[in-house]
This record gives sequence, structure tokens and C-alpha cells, in this order.
Amino acid sequence: MNTKADPTEVAEIKKDTSDVSTVILPTQFLKCSRSDLIVLISRMLVFLIQINDTHENHEEQANGASETILTRFHSSTPPNISIYNYLLRLTKYSALEASVLLTSVYYIDLLSSIYPAFTLNSLTAHRFLLTATSVASKGLCDSFCTNAHYAKVGGVQCSELNILEEEFLRKVKYRVIPRDDNITLCKLEHQQKEFTVPDTNVIGTVLPPTVSLENSGYNVLDMYYKKMIQLVGSYSSSPDKTRKVNYKLEQPTILSTETDPPHSLYDHPTTLHDRSASKRPYDISNEKYADNSAFGQTVSGNQKKKHVTQDIREQNHSQER
Amino acid sequence: MSSQFKQLEKLGNGTYATVYKGLNKTTGVYVALKEVKLDSEEGTPSTAIREISLMKELKHDNIVRLYDVIHTENKLTLVFEYMDNDLKKYMDSHTVGNTPAGLEMHLVKYFQWQLLEGLAFCHENKILHRDLKPQNLLINKRGQLKLGDFGLARAFGIPVNTFSSEVVTLWYRAPDVLMGSRTYTTSIDIWSCGCILAEMITGKPLFPGTNDEEQLKLIFDTMGTPSEASWPAVTQLPKYAASAQSFQQHPHAGKDMKQLLQAHCKETVDDVVINLLHGLLQLNPDMRLSAKQALHHTWFAEYYQRS
Repeated sequence: MNTKADPTEVAEIKKDTSDVSTVILPTQFLKCSRSDLIVLISRMLVFLIQINDTHENHEEQANGASETILTRFHSSTPPNISIYNYLLRLTKYSALEASVLLTSVYYIDLLSSIYPAFTLNSLTAHRFLLTATSVASKGLCDSFCTNAHYAKVGGVQCSELNILEEEFLRKVKYRVIPRDDNITLCKLEHQQKEFTVPDTNVIGTVLPPTVSLENSGYNVLDMYYKKMIQLVGSYSSSPDKTRKVNYKLEQPTILSTETDPPHSLYDHPTTLHDRSASKRPYDISNEKYADNSAFGQTVSGNQKKKHVTQDIREQNHSQER
Repeated sequence: MSSQFKQLEKLGNGTYATVYKGLNKTTGVYVALKEVKLDSEEGTPSTAIREISLMKELKHDNIVRLYDVIHTENKLTLVFEYMDNDLKKYMDSHTVGNTPAGLEMHLVKYFQWQLLEGLAFCHENKILHRDLKPQNLLINKRGQLKLGDFGLARAFGIPVNTFSSEVVTLWYRAPDVLMGSRTYTTSIDIWSCGCILAEMITGKPLFPGTNDEEQLKLIFDTMGTPSEASWPAVTQLPKYAASAQSFQQHPHAGKDMKQLLQAHCKETVDDVVINLLHGLLQLNPDMRLSAKQALHHTWFAEYYQRS
């Protein structure tokens, strides 16, 4: 992936790539084997967990331990199973589909963007994953299991999964379909304390014209898939060393950031928590929507929090430099 | 129950919920309260998750509005726009003695137009309803018709492997789905629209089968038998071989739809509506009209020319 890195790093990569095989992944995630997808997702999550754990530790040292807000997703101690093995277990015994696995990565951004107390870290990751995969299966697929089954596979009481599910659905206001603008609309609903955003006929006056209910873009999962390959496809750059393999996307031109990327892949309206001054066309926090207070945390306080697309964005910046 | 609403009489029992009429005490507006039991094994039913997540997106004059969702101890209450009746009950009330009677043709046209308008909006938003039938079409005293019950609906833009063929109530289920197709798309809803149109005209369900095999037989008896020529790849469908035995020996072109409907309709059934019906009831799903195309059919000229 990142071939434009510092030359000393490149040399190092070369040194240990001798015995790392490279797997070319299909452009359509539906055709990607689930075992590869699990490796990728596990790498992505471990990457986020490390960053958030480190960040929270720093924060605790700075502000005292009491600062951490406990959510329903927190375990008292980190569960004794790796993210990779947990994902493998859920996928195998609950027959999770590729779209469900990717949707659960998308849900990290969805939930964190409207629930700042939540971050994916070593205490929350397992419960989050279990909740996310079961909700996605029930919301998107024609074949799914009961919560009793998901809970058994995931190692929690069914009553607890029921509570987690309800908590998740309430927080994201049932916006469980990964679509363009979903996070924007979800934030708006939180901001306006409304069940739904205004009628279609007035939406143009509230939202920028590109955000309309008629927009039924479904490239969200596709974007997450491609970006994960870009970000954690390389074995050497991944903190999760479970599988010694490099992943590359078929047709490498798509990965190239040298050429102008398609707008939609990079300027996803809502999940960018970048610090750059570049204008985010549909940013909720811009002056047009006046009330920044509701999002103060996401916009300023949470600047160090990692979201999937933020890393993607940062990586693009570093490549540009 | 939230104190915001006063619960009134029961309106019906759905598959996964009980529906009550309700009164919004602050606004004085009637609502329909759909109470969903939260099962300890199942958690929040998938149908409720779908219905809420999809209907939040669908704001259209011909789709029942979901106003809110209220969580209480062990149930979930979906607050919907109140509608006076459903199309099934309305048609039943037209029965004369024991003889079913169709609706007046101008009303059939107005309902069908609204059905297609609502459906076109779903499809534009990449949502399949997958359970269109008269019971799920709600009407009010102003003659408005709205699509309801999105418990089987799904978004079709997300690539998913499992598309169930166990969708749509039997009588309104498309032949491709009956033969086990899992690659269906918007055309699955269009077939149902065709069945509903014929049913509104005559007052009787068009294909009242009792099982999958009989359902296909009824469809082929009326619409003719499929062939590779009229429907390429039909022979590849999972259940083609099993269902084809009955008709392979005697391929035929079907019955005259106009005669068939005229026998149960007091008004004259004109060729224009029959032409639309054939557009909706094409055996080959790729040949069926889209909702948008159907709305531009000559039969609806008085509506689209007006607007």
C-alpha cells in the first residue's frame, strides 16, 4: 500500500516481506472470502483499539481516572479472547455475511459520531462487535438467528445482549442501514431531538442539496472495504499479527491517491473528524447550523479519537506530503 | 405506554404486533399504535428493526408515516399515521350477498395510481416492499391509499447473499419467486401490483392458490406457460424442473384476460387497462413494467396530464 513512505521504512518492509505472501482481493467485497475479510477487519479494529487505549491512558493520567465514562459496552476487564478469534467465532457460528461484517465496522463510526462517550477500545470492542453483528444481521439479511443464539456464541447472557441491542438501536435511532448521509441524518435527529428529520419538501432548506432522502447511495460498505485494504492491508503496518499476509486490491489503480480520487470515497459527509481546514461540504458543525454545542465533543474534544475514515483521511494527507 | 397517547380500541392483530387506535393527547390527532412484544429469546424482532429503519426514510403521501417509536419495559410501540381502513376490508364491504363485487372503475384507477406512486418512491429509495397485498394497503375516507407494513421489506442496494424466496403472501407472489429465484428485484412488487389491480376490478383474488404448485398452475393457466423464448433462463430457476412437468406437454398462451375480468365486472373493462395489467403481470420479471413506467401508462393519462 503506502509505497511513498520514508525510504528507511521501505527497506525494512522489504526485509521482512520475503516470507509474507500477498493476496489479491476482488474489487467487490461480496466476492471476498470471509476469512480474508475477518483478518482485515480484525486488523482495523486492533489498530483503532490501540490508538484509543493509548489516548485514554494519556487522558486518565492528565485528568485523573474518573474521567472515563462507562457505557453499556464496557466490560470490567478486557475479554480473554483476541479480536481475531472472537470475530472468527461469531462469523462461523452465527453465519455472518460479508455485508454484516463490513456494516459492523461502519457502525463504529455511526455510534461514535452520535455517542461521544463510546470509543472502540479493549474494554468495549467485544460487546460492541457482538451487538453490531447481530443488529446488522437482523436489519439487513433474510437469514438471521435469535438473540439467544447470538448471545451464546458471543459469551454473554441473552438478557444482556437484549439490553445492548436496545441501547444500540436507541442511540443510532434505528438508522441501521449503511447508506450515504445516514450519519448526517442521524446527527440531525439528535441535534433536533426529533424522531425523523424534516419532510422531504423542506429538506432542501435545512440540508445542503446533496443530502436528500432521495439519495440512496450504497457505496458506503464498498468504501469501508477498500479503505481497510489500503490502511491495514500490509502485514508490516498492521498491529494485529495473527495472519502473515499482505492484502492488495485487484486493479491497483483504484488505490492510487496520486490521481484525483472519486469525490465520494474521500469526502464522506459525516465521518471525517479531520483537523484540516479543508471545507467539509456537509459538515453539521459549520456555521449554517449554528448550534455547535451538541457536537462540541465530536468536533473539538474528541479530536484524538479515532474513527475509521479519519485514519483514511490522515493517511491520504501523509501521502500527499 | 407513554402518557402522550391515549390507547383506544384494538384495530387488529398483525404477525408480530397488536395495533390499537390511539389519541395524541396534546394534538388531538388520531394515530395507530403498533405494539411489539420484546421476546426474551429474540430481542427486538427483525421485522420491527426493518420497519423502523426503512420507514424513517420513506416520507411520501402514499406511504404510511411512522411518527415515533416508544420504548417501554418489555415492548416497543410504533406510532403510525392513523388510517380508517385497509383495502381488503374495504373490498369485502362491497360484497353483495355472497357475491364479491369489484370497485368502481374510477376508484380502481385512483387507488392503483396511488399504489404505484408509493411503490415508485420505495423503489427510488432502493427499498423493496415484498409484501404488497390489499391488507397492507391502507385507505382513508378521503380516498387516499398508502403502503403499510414494511416488516418484510429490505434495502436492495446492499449486496447480500441471502435473498429469501419465502416472501410475499402466496396469492401475490411472482412466478419467478415461486420457482425459487433469489435474484429478484423491484419486479417482485410489480407482480403484486398487477394481482391487486385485477382484484380491485373483480372483487376476487386473481390467483387464489393454496400451495406453491397450485399457485404456479393458476398463474400459467391464465397467463400462459413460459418458455426459454419468452423468458430466457427460466429453465435455470431452482424449482423450474419440478413445476414444469405439469405444463411442458401442453404449452399454451393463456386465457383472454379481458373476458376473464369482464365476467365479474359491471362496468366495461377497456383494452387500455388490460394492456396495463399485462405490463404488470409479465411472467418474465425483466419484461414487467417499472412503477415509474406504469405511472406513464395511457390508462393514467388523466392524472399525469393534470399535473
